[in-house]
Amino acid sequence: MFPGVDGFHWTAGHIIFLSLFFAVLLTIVATTISALLRTAHDFHSHHAIDLCWHADFDDLPVADRRCRHELAGRLISRTCDNAFDCRHCEKYSEFAVLPARGVAHDLGLNYSDDRLYHRGHTWVHPEEDGTVTIGLDEFADHLLGSPDSYTLPEIGDELDLNQTAWRIKRNRKEISVRAPLEGTVVAVGGPKQGWYVKLRPRLDLRDPKALRHLLRGPEVNRWLSHEIERLQLQLRAPGAAPTLADGGMLQPDLMGAMPQADWDTVLADTFLEA
Amino acid sequence: MSARYGMVIDLDRCTGCGACMLACAAENNVPSLPQASARTGLTPMLVRKISNGGEGSERREAFIPILCMHCEHETPCVHVCPQQAVEVDKATGIVMQMPQRCLGCRYCMTACPYHARYFNWWDPAWPKGMEKSLNPGVAVRMRGVVEKCNLCHARLHAAKEKAAAAGKREIDPADYIPACVEACPTAAIHFGNLADPRDPVSQQSHSPDAFRLLEHLDTQPKVYYKSKEPWVRALSEPNSGPSMEAKHV
Amino acid sequence: MSSAVLTDSRWIARGADRSSFSRFLTWLAPWLALLALGVYAAFVCLYHGLNQTNMDNRFAFGLWIFLDLGIIALGAGAFFTGFLVYILKRAELQPILNTAVVMGFICYSGAVAILMIDVGQPLRAWFTFWHPNTHSMLTEVTFCISCYLLVLCLEYIPILLRNRQLRRLPSFLVFEHQLHKLVPVLAGIGTFLSFFHQGSLGGLYGVLRGRPFAFRHGFFIWPSTFFLFILSAIATGPSFLMLVTASVEKVTGKELVPQDVFRRLGFISGLLLAIYVAAKSIDTLIWLNFTSPAEGFAPWTYYIHKPFGTPVLFAEIVLFGLLPAFLLLYRKSAAHRGWLLGAATLACIGVLINRFVLTVQTLALPTLPFDDFLTYTPSWQEVASFGGVIAYGVIVYSLSYRYLPLFSQTKGESEHVSRG
Repeated sequence: MFPGVDGFHWTAGHIIFLSLFFAVLLTIVATTISALLRTAHDFHSHHAIDLCWHADFDDLPVADRRCRHELAGRLISRTCDNAFDCRHCEKYSEFAVLPARGVAHDLGLNYSDDRLYHRGHTWVHPEEDGTVTIGLDEFADHLLGSPDSYTLPEIGDELDLNQTAWRIKRNRKEISVRAPLEGTVVAVGGPKQGWYVKLRPRLDLRDPKALRHLLRGPEVNRWLSHEIERLQLQLRAPGAAPTLADGGMLQPDLMGAMPQADWDTVLADTFLEA
Repeated sequence: MSARYGMVIDLDRCTGCGACMLACAAENNVPSLPQASARTGLTPMLVRKISNGGEGSERREAFIPILCMHCEHETPCVHVCPQQAVEVDKATGIVMQMPQRCLGCRYCMTACPYHARYFNWWDPAWPKGMEKSLNPGVAVRMRGVVEKCNLCHARLHAAKEKAAAAGKREIDPADYIPACVEACPTAAIHFGNLADPRDPVSQQSHSPDAFRLLEHLDTQPKVYYKSKEPWVRALSEPNSGPSMEAKHV
Repeated sequence: MSSAVLTDSRWIARGADRSSFSRFLTWLAPWLALLALGVYAAFVCLYHGLNQTNMDNRFAFGLWIFLDLGIIALGAGAFFTGFLVYILKRAELQPILNTAVVMGFICYSGAVAILMIDVGQPLRAWFTFWHPNTHSMLTEVTFCISCYLLVLCLEYIPILLRNRQLRRLPSFLVFEHQLHKLVPVLAGIGTFLSFFHQGSLGGLYGVLRGRPFAFRHGFFIWPSTFFLFILSAIATGPSFLMLVTASVEKVTGKELVPQDVFRRLGFISGLLLAIYVAAKSIDTLIWLNFTSPAEGFAPWTYYIHKPFGTPVLFAEIVLFGLLPAFLLLYRKSAAHRGWLLGAATLACIGVLINRFVLTVQTLALPTLPFDDFLTYTPSWQEVASFGGVIAYGVIVYSLSYRYLPLFSQTKGESEHVSRG
């Protein structure tokens, strides 16, 4: 075929055929290389974490993607199309001014008004020195009971929003807890301390956008009541003991109490895993 | 000047003795494969028996040697080979098979209307001791490739070398005679240059008794057959009738 | 606790309801056995040579080539669905896209695997790329099929990387995301390649001047079979896709794609099949009246050898061509799932008959006046290695169905199950 091969001679057929073939092959190769380069670029520009979170978010059930304004009763129904990042949501301010409606249920859970909540069941508490304290909310605490072990980030680590902040092991299940905020780790705690990580946020807390994406006030109550409802349905598996019998109140250490339940699904739903 | 080597086979003289097949096998190092059947063996030259299908005194029989026809026009096998393992040599008109480049896809075999191509279904083998009598001028073909008659190309090569050594540009026709032609005891097979109008073979090919197989396909074979019998000449037509029967010798 | 040892639930997409791991293994076991037998048969053929088959010098192509052509025609659903979704923007076919890619991947990789056993010297396969004879249809087939298999691999990767465990690796997930964005380019390339090689596979036989039963005139360098193969492949590809999806729905007892997708596929299949049947009829008439007589062959002689009489021709064009085309297009029958699937089955059988006639009948018929009509029965090695390819297909599809989001585009499935 190629010059130098015995008996080679160019013909119009060769030129047309080989040009087409190599054009096709080049396109295929270029496509692959381009996908690889874009991937590398995404990692370089810290875009990758965002992409992963968006992919995971897209795979969440629709019911878990409710807009916070729906939770607050400002809207009848709206699915979040911004991966829970209200800081970049064009509609946020339009809806935020509407009056909140609805009644708060008694969930038997402690959640406080000075804490802000992330849908991955973490809370954020702004401190006066400009740092924030982050911990697992009571819903997650009730599920997990006391963890078998946990892995925390190192002091000085940079965390990205929605990236894994720390890992917890319970009953041989590994749970990745998503970071509710981006920043530098300045201290680490643990289940005993009641908090896990202290962060110096990347955005100054005086910036009104810094914590805007986190749930607060009436939103938290409605969100948690949906979560409890979901949990009730999931734990009502055939063969499982009657659960949450006391009117939807969570008992502590559900994982310990019901080892046979489908925890893979429950934990994935709770901690926003794919 | 380029040649167009071809044959005229006089079927009226063919006795079906099979000497051409033996000579071909010996010349071209065709392996001896006792496990092969008539449908899987290697027979670049194959004599087949034909009859007019009649009974009793009506019955006529003849023999017909089948080999590569070295088609000239849109040579079916050349067009289909995906990797140029089959080519028509412009200088000789011989359809050349290059087993060393053959993939063994057998597409050329399905393309050949004369079934003159053979696949090496087995590893080549010879009875013990017989490998000493192999022709050193012809490469043995490996398992999994296609082969066929190449008009004893090794002999053409030798003739060219002889001519070159003597300082001549053209070979002496007497130096290049394929093995089957040489071996035929009744001189039924004539070999020559069809492009040379003075060549007796070229002249015979124009005889009214001459015909070619499947002429309607327009592949223009360079192997001609000749017979005075009309029923034999009818072989140039396909489907001369379901009465036609044939046997391998 | 012991039950935790034998479970693969961590690998199954969240919310997807799949049978237990042991039940899945029980389903796979016979297929694995068939695959093992096929691999053994393939090994025997490669080790001892093609004398292990019942092919011979005149029946140089056999069962393998017939089935290769058959599954490649049926696998056309992959490129055609990609073409419809990405190029013609028929978004309603999106739910079936992933399964079409997996089907295509299986059909093409299986066909290439069989081809590698079928050639006498598989290690010389690269020669075609080094010394290509640009006049040969087989060169076109080789180039296009190898490129298209590459494309199918690239289309399969994003589906594969969405596996629950694999996607946890951020680099995989990001690569999946980036590759997925480029899939329309691949779909375009795939369409181009598929059009050509489906055609070239038909051209493979149409150019055989020495086989008047197959020889056809055509347009420019392409015989009419080139175009007929493209048409019949894109006509039956969607039907086959429909059949596979329906079988999976049957086996799993779930509704995986909306009924609407089935009707849409049926309509596309029926429309193209009707065009194909018309074109095929015209082609057959031209061939019977002009092409074949010009080569000296009276057409009736092709049909005197039983079992290849004219009923085969009738079955190919009318019973398995016109009839399913009508059933797929007729509003009343197309609205009924049973009729729709029945018609799709007929259409798929029809394309297989067409490939069978062109590959097997062509070689069985004599050309020389003193030749016989030949018969050939494949050896167990040929049948078993093909069985191995079928088993390979079932296994790859089962694994893909279990561990990959084949039908997740609908969202409906995961919704349903995680709630219930």
